[in-house]
Amino acid sequence: MEEKRNIGVYICQCGSNISDYVDVEKVREEVAKINHVSISKTTMFACADATQNEIVQDIQENNLDAIVVASCSPKLHLDTFKNVAERAGLNPYNYVQVNIREQCSWAHSDKPVQATEKAIQLVKAGIARAGYSEALIKTKISAENVVVVVGAGVSGMRSAIELADLGSYVYLIEREYFVGGRVAQWGELFTTNETGKETIRRLYNKLMEYKNITLFTGAEIISNTGTVGNFDIQVKIRPRYIKPGCKVDPEKLQKVIDACPVEIPDVFNFNLTTCKAIYKNFESEFPEIPAIDPEHCTRCGECEKLCDDIDLGQKDEFVNIKAGAILINTGYDPYEPKTGEFGYKEIENVITLPQLKRLIELSGKELIYKNKKIHNIGYIYCVGSRQKDGENKYCSRYCCTSTIYTSIVIKNKYKDIHNFHFDKSIRTYGKLELLYREASENGDIFLQFWDEDPPVVSRNGNGTVVSIKDMLSSGKELEVDCDLVVLVTGMVPRQDNKIADILKAPLGRDKFFNEIHPKLRPVETVIDGVLISGACQGPKNISESVKSSLSAASKANSLVKKGEIELKPTIAFIDKNACVWCDECLKACPFDAIIKVQSDGKDVAEIVEAKCKGGGMCLPVCPENAINLKGYTDNEMEAMITALAD
Amino acid sequence: MEQQNELSFDTLVIGGGIAGSEAAINLANLDYKVILVEKDLSLGGKMIHLSKVFPTLDCSACITTPKVSETIRHPNITIYTYSEVKNIVKVSDKKFTATLVKKPRYVNEDLCTGCQECEDKCPVVVKDQYQYDLVGRKAVYVPFSIANPRVVNIDIENCILCGICEKVCPVDAIDFTQEAVEIPLTVKSVIIATGFELFDPTQILRYGFGKFKNVVTAMQMERQLVPTRPYNSVLRPKDGKMPDNIAYILCTGSRDETVGNPICSQICCMYSVKQAQLLLGALPMADVSIYCMDIRAFGKGFCEFYQQSIGMGVEFHKGKVAKVTEKENGNLILRYENIENGKITEVEHDLVVLSIGVLPNPEAKLLFNSPVIESDEFNYIKQTDELVCPPQTNIEGVYVAGTSSGPMDIPDSILSAGAASACSANYIRN
Ligand SMILES: Cc1cc2nc3c(=O)[nH]c(=O)nc-3n(C[C@H](O)[C@H](O)[C@H](O)COP(=O)(O)OP(=O)(O)OC[C@H]3O[C@@H](n4cnc5c(N)ncnc54)[C@H](O)[C@@H]3O)c2cc1C
Ligand SMILES: Cc1cc2nc3c(=O)[nH]c(=O)nc-3n(C[C@H](O)[C@H](O)[C@H](O)COP(=O)(O)OP(=O)(O)OC[C@H]3O[C@@H](n4cnc5c(N)ncnc54)[C@H](O)[C@@H]3O)c2cc1C
Ligand code: SF4
Ligand code: SF4
Ligand code: SF4
Ligand code: SF4
Repeated sequence: MEEKRNIGVYICQCGSNISDYVDVEKVREEVAKINHVSISKTTMFACADATQNEIVQDIQENNLDAIVVASCSPKLHLDTFKNVAERAGLNPYNYVQVNIREQCSWAHSDKPVQATEKAIQLVKAGIARAGYSEALIKTKISAENVVVVVGAGVSGMRSAIELADLGSYVYLIEREYFVGGRVAQWGELFTTNETGKETIRRLYNKLMEYKNITLFTGAEIISNTGTVGNFDIQVKIRPRYIKPGCKVDPEKLQKVIDACPVEIPDVFNFNLTTCKAIYKNFESEFPEIPAIDPEHCTRCGECEKLCDDIDLGQKDEFVNIKAGAILINTGYDPYEPKTGEFGYKEIENVITLPQLKRLIELSGKELIYKNKKIHNIGYIYCVGSRQKDGENKYCSRYCCTSTIYTSIVIKNKYKDIHNFHFDKSIRTYGKLELLYREASENGDIFLQFWDEDPPVVSRNGNGTVVSIKDMLSSGKELEVDCDLVVLVTGMVPRQDNKIADILKAPLGRDKFFNEIHPKLRPVETVIDGVLISGACQGPKNISESVKSSLSAASKANSLVKKGEIELKPTIAFIDKNACVWCDECLKACPFDAIIKVQSDGKDVAEIVEAKCKGGGMCLPVCPENAINLKGYTDNEMEAMITALAD
Repeated sequence: MEQQNELSFDTLVIGGGIAGSEAAINLANLDYKVILVEKDLSLGGKMIHLSKVFPTLDCSACITTPKVSETIRHPNITIYTYSEVKNIVKVSDKKFTATLVKKPRYVNEDLCTGCQECEDKCPVVVKDQYQYDLVGRKAVYVPFSIANPRVVNIDIENCILCGICEKVCPVDAIDFTQEAVEIPLTVKSVIIATGFELFDPTQILRYGFGKFKNVVTAMQMERQLVPTRPYNSVLRPKDGKMPDNIAYILCTGSRDETVGNPICSQICCMYSVKQAQLLLGALPMADVSIYCMDIRAFGKGFCEFYQQSIGMGVEFHKGKVAKVTEKENGNLILRYENIENGKITEVEHDLVVLSIGVLPNPEAKLLFNSPVIESDEFNYIKQTDELVCPPQTNIEGVYVAGTSSGPMDIPDSILSAGAASACSANYIRN
């Protein structure tokens, strides 16, 4: 192929991020000497609009056949400058970005002379690569205007409604038998005092208005074989053992529940109570009909005797869905304290905040736990979050506010209760601060412990004592008798998170789903067409979860609504003559993008274009050197190495 | 005042900060026609003036400028800078009318090439508001180096009408005859993204801002830390010395009933922690101390970022600063109650940074004629269904994005803008 001979080179000062340490003018002078460089300029901010326009003009007026911008990391601006090239009529793949900021000026800020030399070498290598760059054409694939939303908590339900409104067809897939996620469990909510049940009811009623939403409950994605635009998803729907036409009669349902001999800990109430194999967590739960948990049901048939709508013969169903995009909204689990952590499971009146929320819901006019009326509640904050030595370094964000809000609710609901907060400094950010003020005005006592000196919960005769060295009273050692100790447990990623493997969606250091960039692409993942929102991405309250799910819904819709999607052309390609099908590449590819096909009577490898991310894992393992990567061909790489070695 | 023919669009976005730009781009990508009205001379809001941004420490200009240029180039977005809207009236479902006022720049935007010949020759020097008064600028000026649009503007209040700029301009772009233009506008929905204001620290006399030269605001520090920084180093204003013992006073103007702002500003803990880290990079010999009640490191990656600053040697002192006094050499004495030991303590620093809080932009409310837009008790735009539809206001078809509804960092502003654009699109569609 023809080498490019008319190259424009732009060296960015990045304000002073680069020019403080790299002599950009010297770099320019050096590279200007290269034969094929017909234009070389320095610029204050290459990404600024004025410079972009100047580059466009240069390309057009001088018929440049390739351009090089030496600036920041391509992670930031590769697409910016590809677009510049495209606007000027140059193929975007005849653009090469050289990173002289993260990999040069910032890395060698103590050695400006050497940094400048390195920058010169890097830019020369970039120019050499541009010389062999090939014009590549993006392929277009068709895309279904269908979005699968995984999880029907507040985030998932809100995303589904929004997507349906925007005209996409939505499959909403909920693992539990009922919708609502965590919020259905919480009773009154900050900041509006609406109850979780009401919030979920509003969303569910709205959901039911749409013909373009299909809701599956008791359902889970078990496999995916497709890619963006055309995901091929298989959903397994567990039986509910109740006929779909069932018109629930609460009295009769209670009789059936009473008749069920299986009694199990009720996870909806975080094991504070028990429930039967046939259940409905609360009366206004949706969908209206109850469910029988096949995992615990012994098929004894007692219930079937009492009600015709029960059908223990129902089987697992499997549904295949073709979808253009997938939106993960699977939420979080509350942190489960270890046995003995602040007396949990060892001292009987130590519970978690989620349990307290349920206890309030289950209580009448008085707050009673284990048959004792509660007077003094101690809240121990940051349990399972902000761990110095443990895994969870992060702050769970919702819990200071939720605890304080709950303490206010308790004050309003029950008489004679005293709240003692053992915190690690309160994080009621923004307007939430008002709740903190209200609790203080209510007479709640706030005590604070040092990171390295957490409070201790111990038995004291019949009672329980929390002892603390309190920062707010300059380190006084205090003891508080509490008849209920509440561990303010944080949020952790879903324990059962198989969906991450199935969709190959990446997790961050905190093990929550990870976005590409918190500011530039906050709801997208590196897997094209797989988006994330709500608390599965990291701790969030409802309002924050819903904001992200609305954002994600509009992003997902704009991706699939046109019916076609452009794919990056920088993918691997296989020289079928050279390939001997040893299957090494298949094993190396993390995205299952390689398949075996027949060509000229022999087995050879083929790249599934929509799956290949151009990661290049397959290249080095091929013993025949039969694989090349478009945009990173051997020609280009060898030219770079030669330039660097010069 | 000149009148022009009516303009009509799907959505009016008011404010061209990060939230407004993000909302406009989202809608434009969904194929809606958007008019973005920005009061200031150029786009980017506060964010374009920041140094590096927490918690990822990306260079703020480097992520704002491409957003701004994407906004400007998008075929579905029409931008009016140095313009305002007034008299917004909801006439009927999906029909709002308003008046767009394009203020005179006294420069023909289409002709000006931004060569700054005029700026070079203009004899007037005044304080540069974009550098938060750290340096001066001319009466005819490009707002800042990466401003977009990058054309000059004449600050008519300070201009002495000498006419030099008119003479030197190679393309005859200066036009003193310009007048404000009023353009009637019809749109189907409105997004409010008018952002926030900063607390004015002269209100707290005991911190001495305005009196003691070496007491600066965090925004001024932000400008000293940006790549396009005015002094190319961090200097203390009084004598141009490099500071080596810097103090941050958190919650300045926030969580403070005495200044009428009891709420927390949500960003100042984190931007202070960020600046402290940047300062340790810029001035390797310096010590940085942060005086705080709590450190509100609540967002994704924030707590880790805070821990990192402790690891780097930033010192955190728990206590509210009662008073700052100045020594003859310009150093400052901070008097505070050290909560950890209960002692009243005095410490000396050579530069004090006030971590000023976020206040609502009261203008947003005044743009609406009928019905009026409701605000909350602090004058932020009121969210009427915070849990299920956070961008919703009391007027159906009007949505709120970014800090117009309360303090927010950049990631949250961007998500809220995404949400507002989704709601707006739906309102128009259905
Ligand atoms: C004790 C406590 C009190 C709180 N109080 C408040 C409050 O007062 N106000 C407030 O704003 N916030 C509050 N929160 C926070 C609130 O719970 C979250 O913001 C909210 O639940 C996030 O919603 P989500 O939809 O993202 O996640 P979730 O509520 O966790 O919902 C996720 C859904 O996805 C489903 N799912 C999970 N995995 C799969 C899978 N593989 N396939 C299919 N479905 C799946 C789950 O079953 C669930 O229905 C509180 C949190 C706690 C712990
Ligand atoms: C010192 C400091 C440091 C910070 N550092 C960080 C950081 O490191 N990381 C981070 O995440 N966040 C940081 N922030 C917060 C960040 O600045 C805000 O989150 C963000 O700028 C909010 O964007 P916005 O668009 O809502 O508001 P703004 O940036 O205020 O934009 C509002 C826009 O609307 C325009 N406008 C106002 N009124 C009108 C009107 N009537 N008509 C038309 N237009 C109007 C304004 O001119 C402006 O352009 C920092 C803030 C400060 C003060
Ligand atoms: S929100 Fe509060 S309780 Fe929760 S982890 Fe953060 S600091 Fe601890
Ligand atoms: S006319 Fe005004 S703006 Fe122009 S040069 Fe003179 S003082 Fe400056
Ligand atoms: S007004 Fe004229 S002289 Fe001034 S910057 Fe614009 S083009 Fe240059
Ligand atoms: S964010 Fe921090 S400094 Fe700002 S008001 Fe809140 S607690 Fe104070």
